[in-house]
Amino acid sequence: MKHTTAAVIQDTGEARQRRKRYMLWSFLLLIAMTLVLPLIPYAVAYVQDGSAVRNPGSELWREVRQRDQAVIGQTQADNVDAGILINKRGEEWRLFRMKKLIPFGAILIGGILGLIILFYLIRGTLRLPGGRSGKRILRFTLNERIVHWFTVVIFWILALSGLITLYGRYVLVPLLGPEGFSVTASASLMAHNTLGPIFLVAILALFFTFVKNNFFARGDLKWLTKAGGLLGGHASAGRFNAGEKIWFWLAVILGLALCVSGLILDFPNWGQGRVVFEWSHVVHGISAVVMIAVSFGHIYLGTVGMEGSLESMTTGYVDATWAEAHHDRWYEEVRNAGEIEEPGQSDLSGGVASGGVAQSRSTD
Amino acid sequence: MARMKFFCDVERCIECNGCVTACKNANERPWGVNRRRVVTIKDGEPGERSLSVACMHCNDAPCKAVCPVDVFYITDDGVVLHDKERCIGCGYCLFACPFGAPQFPKQGAFGTRGKMDKCTFCGGGPVADNSEEEFKLYGANRLAQGKLPLCAEMCSTKALLAGDAAVISDIFRQRVFNRGASVFLTGVAQQKAALGAARGLEGKSSSKD
Repeated sequence: MKHTTAAVIQDTGEARQRRKRYMLWSFLLLIAMTLVLPLIPYAVAYVQDGSAVRNPGSELWREVRQRDQAVIGQTQADNVDAGILINKRGEEWRLFRMKKLIPFGAILIGGILGLIILFYLIRGTLRLPGGRSGKRILRFTLNERIVHWFTVVIFWILALSGLITLYGRYVLVPLLGPEGFSVTASASLMAHNTLGPIFLVAILALFFTFVKNNFFARGDLKWLTKAGGLLGGHASAGRFNAGEKIWFWLAVILGLALCVSGLILDFPNWGQGRVVFEWSHVVHGISAVVMIAVSFGHIYLGTVGMEGSLESMTTGYVDATWAEAHHDRWYEEVRNAGEIEEPGQSDLSGGVASGGVAQSRSTD
Repeated sequence: MARMKFFCDVERCIECNGCVTACKNANERPWGVNRRRVVTIKDGEPGERSLSVACMHCNDAPCKAVCPVDVFYITDDGVVLHDKERCIGCGYCLFACPFGAPQFPKQGAFGTRGKMDKCTFCGGGPVADNSEEEFKLYGANRLAQGKLPLCAEMCSTKALLAGDAAVISDIFRQRVFNRGASVFLTGVAQQKAALGAARGLEGKSSSKD
């Protein structure tokens, strides 16, 4: 009895402390084992395969969602891209079209148009200094004029039909009604798709016709720093000034981008996938919106913005005063070559009797 | 109203293409227009799984957002339908759709695609229910007859489910619960782990007394 009592007394002291310690450590060990032991198969597999074993369920959905790489499955359907379960580029394209192309395109086109109208209200038409001289200079040959107007007609058919497809849902549906707009949209899509490839012919003709005078040369930078004389002062220029050269290269580069992307979009029979369509549409949309916006500046300066400009593209001739004022270095060249036609001279070299000729005669 | 959804259970789909055949039979679409298709990932490799896919009838449908002529509409049942009379065949819905659901009768030169066709959840179109015109343009209108899409109704393994999203998700939740935690089993016992019959499917048994 004595012995056991001593043991009980001993148990309440140092031994109890020790037992508590054992319990604590074994509890911690138990927790560590439950956490670590299930990981052993993964560790073994990692050592064997050299890669982490994934949950087959999540691995499947990672492939379906194309998280790591493009995964094309097997299918009995023979459509293009039928093996792709989820194409996440589709949503990116949707966001580009709805959140970027449509709003920013409208801001760009509307903004440029607004700025031009504002400029016209402030400056008005830029008149010829000192009036017409009556002397004429051939600026554009018949060939150059045909290429120019051919491009103009094709460009505006495509631009208008394209803008109808882009903005018709917001602008024309309230005016024409859903059924009426459907007919308009269908017709403009058909015109766009059928006449589109002709734009490639127009752009190539434009390039080869006008490229010889459009290489950047000395004096172009100076012309640009003076903003072409729009803000006052005289800017010296050759046959084409730096602004016209920039427009030429912009038209050619954007035009070719439009043609290549447009042909990809226009011929689904070549079997291209959705991602190719989406990227082509991004290129096509940006190029088209920029080209339309910049063309407004060109049209403005060629018509109401500057007196005596339009007749160069209709009759082919400009007044000598116009040439001297806007293209002085070209004027010098023409004068030295003796190609200025005096008022009395017949227009045999021009070949086409037209409004400009009659106008210059009437001013005699 | 119910919100209609398709659901394909990858652990049950056996790539029999019965849903594709059922769809063709119900809607009589022309050659090349595949409203529904079965895609197999990792065909012939470990971890092979098949999925039957058609239009997902999105709440925020990308096709509806990008359509230049605004022909899409979502019914009270949450089914995405479109007006074929006004469709201009531009193909934008196909570019925007993540699932490749929109189909075109042809892929011709100069962008000639014809009118878009896609899964209607066997819900017809904007013309008179179950009229001859509706069947010609949009295929079957089983919803108006109080039936669900034929693809899901004919699925032999009940992998493809169609109906009210709440009911569908309940059935699938029950299945997942019965399969148990497959994470630690690394795929071995995923199909074998059913502990009991999934509730909600008892009434579907073909044996009668």
